[in-house]
Amino acid sequence: MAELLPPDVRRCTYFFLYDGSKVKGEGDRTREGICYFYPEETPLDRQELLCGQLAGVGRCVSELSFSPVRILRLRRNKFAIRMKDDFFWVSVDAAGPAADFQDGSGFVSSEYESVMVIQRIYLCRSFQALGCSVEVPIVSVCELLDQLIDLFCFYNGSVRQSYQLSSQEFLAARWARYLSHLQSGSSELHHIFSCLRTIDSTNVDPLLLLKAALILQACQRCPLVLAGCILFRGRVVSTQMCPELTMKVMVHESETYTKTPAAHCSSGPFGGAVSSVTVFLTLSELQYLQSAPVNKHLSSESTPQKETPRRKTRLSRTLSDMPSTDSDPSDRGSLQSPQLESFSPQLSDSSVFSPVPSHSATDPLHPPTQPLQPPFSNGKHSSEAEDEALEEPSYYHSFHSNGGDSQTDASVFEENCQVLNGGGDGGGDGGGDGGAACGTVFDFREAANDESHDGKEDGCRSAPEPPRPPHCGAFDDPEQSQLVPMTLYLHRVKGLVLALLVEPLFLSDTASMEEVYHSSLASLNGLEAHLRTVAPGAPGAPGPYVFAHFDHIQSTLTTNLSGGPGGAPERPFVRATSLLHSHFCNTETLQEAIIRSAGAAVYGTRSVAQETYFQQHGGSFRNSGIPNHQDSAFSLPGKARHRLLKHGVNLL
Amino acid sequence: MKCLLIASESAEVLFHWTDPEYQQHIQEQYGASQEEGQGLPAFEDSISTLFAPIIISCSTMVDRLGDSYTSFTTENNHIYVLHQFDECLYIAVNGDGEEGEDDLRRKTYVMKKMIEVLFGMVTLSSYLLRRELRPQDTDQRARLWKHLQSLLETYSHLRENDQSFLVEAVERLIHPTLCEQCIEFLERRLVQQLNSSVERAGEEVLHAFILVHTKLLAFYSSRNASTLSTSDLLTLIIMAQNMYPSDVDHDDPAPEDVESTSGSGPESFYTPEPSPTDRDSSSSEEKPVRGSTPVFEFVDPDIQMAEDSLQTLEVPPPDPSTPHRVFLEVSLKEGLYPMMPHSMYCLPLWPGITLVLLTKVPTSAVAMSVYKFLEAFAKLEKRLSEGQEGSAATRGQPTIHDVRSKLDKFIKALGPSEIQSAQLQNVWTEFKNRAFARGGPGFNRDLIPWCKNMKTQLCGIYRQCFLIESGPTDIPRRLSPGLQERAQTMVQEKLMDWKDFLLVKSKRNITMVSYLEDFPGLIHFICVDRSTGQMIAPSLSITERATSELGKGPVAQFIKRKVWDLVSTTRHYLQKGYSTVTLRDGDFYFCYFLWFENETGFKLEAGDIPVLPDDSAPIGMLAWDYYSRKLLRYYSKNHQGEVVKCYELLTVHLGVIPTEIILQHCRQLASKLWEPSRNPLL
Repeated sequence: MAELLPPDVRRCTYFFLYDGSKVKGEGDRTREGICYFYPEETPLDRQELLCGQLAGVGRCVSELSFSPVRILRLRRNKFAIRMKDDFFWVSVDAAGPAADFQDGSGFVSSEYESVMVIQRIYLCRSFQALGCSVEVPIVSVCELLDQLIDLFCFYNGSVRQSYQLSSQEFLAARWARYLSHLQSGSSELHHIFSCLRTIDSTNVDPLLLLKAALILQACQRCPLVLAGCILFRGRVVSTQMCPELTMKVMVHESETYTKTPAAHCSSGPFGGAVSSVTVFLTLSELQYLQSAPVNKHLSSESTPQKETPRRKTRLSRTLSDMPSTDSDPSDRGSLQSPQLESFSPQLSDSSVFSPVPSHSATDPLHPPTQPLQPPFSNGKHSSEAEDEALEEPSYYHSFHSNGGDSQTDASVFEENCQVLNGGGDGGGDGGGDGGAACGTVFDFREAANDESHDGKEDGCRSAPEPPRPPHCGAFDDPEQSQLVPMTLYLHRVKGLVLALLVEPLFLSDTASMEEVYHSSLASLNGLEAHLRTVAPGAPGAPGPYVFAHFDHIQSTLTTNLSGGPGGAPERPFVRATSLLHSHFCNTETLQEAIIRSAGAAVYGTRSVAQETYFQQHGGSFRNSGIPNHQDSAFSLPGKARHRLLKHGVNLL
Repeated sequence: MKCLLIASESAEVLFHWTDPEYQQHIQEQYGASQEEGQGLPAFEDSISTLFAPIIISCSTMVDRLGDSYTSFTTENNHIYVLHQFDECLYIAVNGDGEEGEDDLRRKTYVMKKMIEVLFGMVTLSSYLLRRELRPQDTDQRARLWKHLQSLLETYSHLRENDQSFLVEAVERLIHPTLCEQCIEFLERRLVQQLNSSVERAGEEVLHAFILVHTKLLAFYSSRNASTLSTSDLLTLIIMAQNMYPSDVDHDDPAPEDVESTSGSGPESFYTPEPSPTDRDSSSSEEKPVRGSTPVFEFVDPDIQMAEDSLQTLEVPPPDPSTPHRVFLEVSLKEGLYPMMPHSMYCLPLWPGITLVLLTKVPTSAVAMSVYKFLEAFAKLEKRLSEGQEGSAATRGQPTIHDVRSKLDKFIKALGPSEIQSAQLQNVWTEFKNRAFARGGPGFNRDLIPWCKNMKTQLCGIYRQCFLIESGPTDIPRRLSPGLQERAQTMVQEKLMDWKDFLLVKSKRNITMVSYLEDFPGLIHFICVDRSTGQMIAPSLSITERATSELGKGPVAQFIKRKVWDLVSTTRHYLQKGYSTVTLRDGDFYFCYFLWFENETGFKLEAGDIPVLPDDSAPIGMLAWDYYSRKLLRYYSKNHQGEVVKCYELLTVHLGVIPTEIILQHCRQLASKLWEPSRNPLL
């Protein structure tokens, strides 16, 4: 891991986070708004210039267009930008007077926090000398930025909140780490596709992959384990998570691989081999993980009764006390796909709501005494809660209220668990575990409707439930949706890492932990020993052709390109791939393309799930350029079909 | 939701154009930030206020970072494209998704081209250009802006609907015999007669051409004329279209336009012409504002112009026989002279058919001298700013002493004329004192402002000579109205019998029907000869009530959309160095080929094509001739002394046709369309 690239091949030259809400008055200096600036050695006045000008012009353009700026180009740089009007957070505990917000006209409000993140994709000077510069398409730049923000939120929670809780220096180190992780991709192609680094499956015995998958499945037998992945030396061996999530998990892995566990990791009872860290999932990510694989695309149609027993078991335990049995599975089962709940007739049943008072009893447990902590759920003023309740389906608040109070500090989890357990217990008094869960669900309605039961029921019946297919690609923006704290459990065996996303309760549940640890230990050792002996795979002699095959679903890239920067002969291929990739991204109907410059002809084709690029070496492409059916460029599709079969790429 | 804005570095609006939607958008914006009860300010003020921060930030970035913004994209897909030409910042905005970044950049370049054609070398002095684009007199300003706005609208309309403006090449009417007859007629009868008449007042007809809508029926250049560049010709066609819009293009949308404006009347976003009182108040408001913000007021103390001359601009009465002053490129044996003054006479024959005459003005020698002096001072300034001093700065052709004696003579010659050259004389004397006097500072950095000042003064002379109409006492320098009328009648008589045929022919110049048998599966093609700037394509006009081969309504619209997209896609690939592109897109198969031939039609080997940055000048021929300036020049490096021709072919086929066949079709089209006979398959 940590293949550091020479500075001029850096994927991004600038990155900054600027908090416009700190620079409002005439006397405020721009530097006060700069939360993080990369590269850190940039002179402060240049930092101020860039932040001030770009943030200012970005804001002006946003006001003109009623929409945040996404891309900003200079002659020599291109910047991806994210601006967030973080209305919700700031109105609760912003430094500025909240009143300004109420009469501000939305975006044009003066209390406007902009989280701007900016970067420039390299235009390698060294390559310009070669006369052809590779420009990473703007699609990829935006992707990189989103990844970076997602990463931050995954490990730290929301940006606003983390800057309230932690020092700038601490978070700066975090940003720097994520940046260096994202920049350490193995080749330009990886940057173009923003893909996961996987082990070269052609070199590995398929049985080993199967074994890895089995280890993960075995771990899932513990109901507290949501999903996992196995990584070997910074590359994915097997994963149960969607690519976005796997990518996030890998950051921590690569970090622990190179260093000793950082301070925020709490070591488990199994010594240095096992560590854990708090992570934050968006609701849709969580929902995706919690739905059983078979039902992932059906869950919106299915009813609670149809759900698989396994799901019920897992989730029921999630929200109720651990030792509770599967005695009343139907109610609990319903909780895991809460979208359905609002429509299910049981909800109007008063028995379901009976635990509500018990839940309100949990309120004191949410400590409003912590001033720094944004009182996300129960401590919220009713008007704000109402606003929110109107906007968001009730379901989201359920998780929110469970998890919103947690901090990055793992120790809080104990408390959190108690909250959950307490709620569950209380619910048990009233009407069973499921009821307790429901009580939590409607906790917000209660606040919104001034504790009126009738209003609450109306509210829950009429609550609009936007259809959110639990598909990986459609994940929420972590800055917008609430984040749910979960735990990332890591078990390291030399270069091999088993990473599991587990419920926070898992850490306190010694029995489960031991079970997972011991059940997988032997297999992991075996797998590691095997993988270690696998030769890293010769980069492959520069064959008569190059290809790149990108799988959208798994976000993996297969290529026979040796990788590494600066391969001059590959440059035309990478350049063409970059152009074609962005063309494919922008034109849905485009299926295949052949483009030819004086030196190279490249064929690209794509289907719903994959993109493939192919270039034949050798054979002179020198010709007049006039249409000619004997031109070798037009035989590329046939050759690609033929040649790539042995790489497992089927273009038929 | 479209807008184009030109602003000076001090955020002064030099020109703006918005469509009604964007105008409403701006007014809503501005209204939101205004206090209740206050009326909306003049539109110009609103737009200037809203864009000012962007403009100021732009110049800050240039000053402090040496880089400038080229574009912004917002999440709701509003696109802003910015480009700085000298000291004028052009901002083009689209908020309805109809134009991409490339289209917007093209629009700014086209706007700049039109300003160059209208103002000539005055554009070389940003100080003068600012005053020219934003006359003090509000009436005059309104009139000028309206003219520019309508030119821009005409261009946009053509670009969206006319294939020749899509690919930026001239389309000829395909009727060899008639074309030949007409050319002969123009040569032997018309131009000869005009140039031998005494009523021509010293002007000489250089080029004459007949347009049927936007298509060229006949084009004749007199023997001593230089060739008219495609870029200029296309601009002149836009101007002619603007004066005499094609009925078909404008009849159809007109009723809708009326409806939409009347429908939105109550909302009052469609600003009516400002009443005189409004104008007074706005102009009186402006002054105190300027006074209170001296930071934005850019006044170069060194530049003192003959202010009178700037104020005396009199708007010519709308006399149809008054020619338009246009500034066109002239290539002579001794070199290339951009922006030489010509007069353009646009004589309507019938609706849709126009005769255009381009004449050389008698004083055009002055323009050449001015250009040579400007060039010399620009070179000197460049060397000085590079840090060269003394003789190193003055070497090269022509020598500075040469320039000195010529300029002395030039100023002397100007003396007796009514041109106010005192200011030029003063600056020149000062310049000489500094540069040539013994013991004086000589040629060093301190001379740079004086170089600039000299350029400004020279541009001022040029402006007086060619941009200001001479007073009524003067003899009108133009073809007499009688002569114009005679020319008009002559051509009318000649074409009387052909008139209706031509109007139909221009709509269905060549049709796909004639190709269907030989090229089954071919849906459309465009073939362009970039060396002559001409194109051939089957008609794709779907504004007609009649059905075309493509059918009517959505299908035809869809294919048209695809063709337009294809052109922009292939341009993007060409910009990045790809000269062959084939795409399978939905049910279609698209091909694009660019190749070079020598004079005898021998296919030359494909060479390297320059890779250009994203914000480079748009690929085309109208605003900036990519093909001759970039491509051919680049390519000719390896083929010196050879005439290199450049061709492009775009085809659209049905996707089910085997690729082999498609490529055969392309080959046949490529070889047959430009056969020496110039007769396409018919």
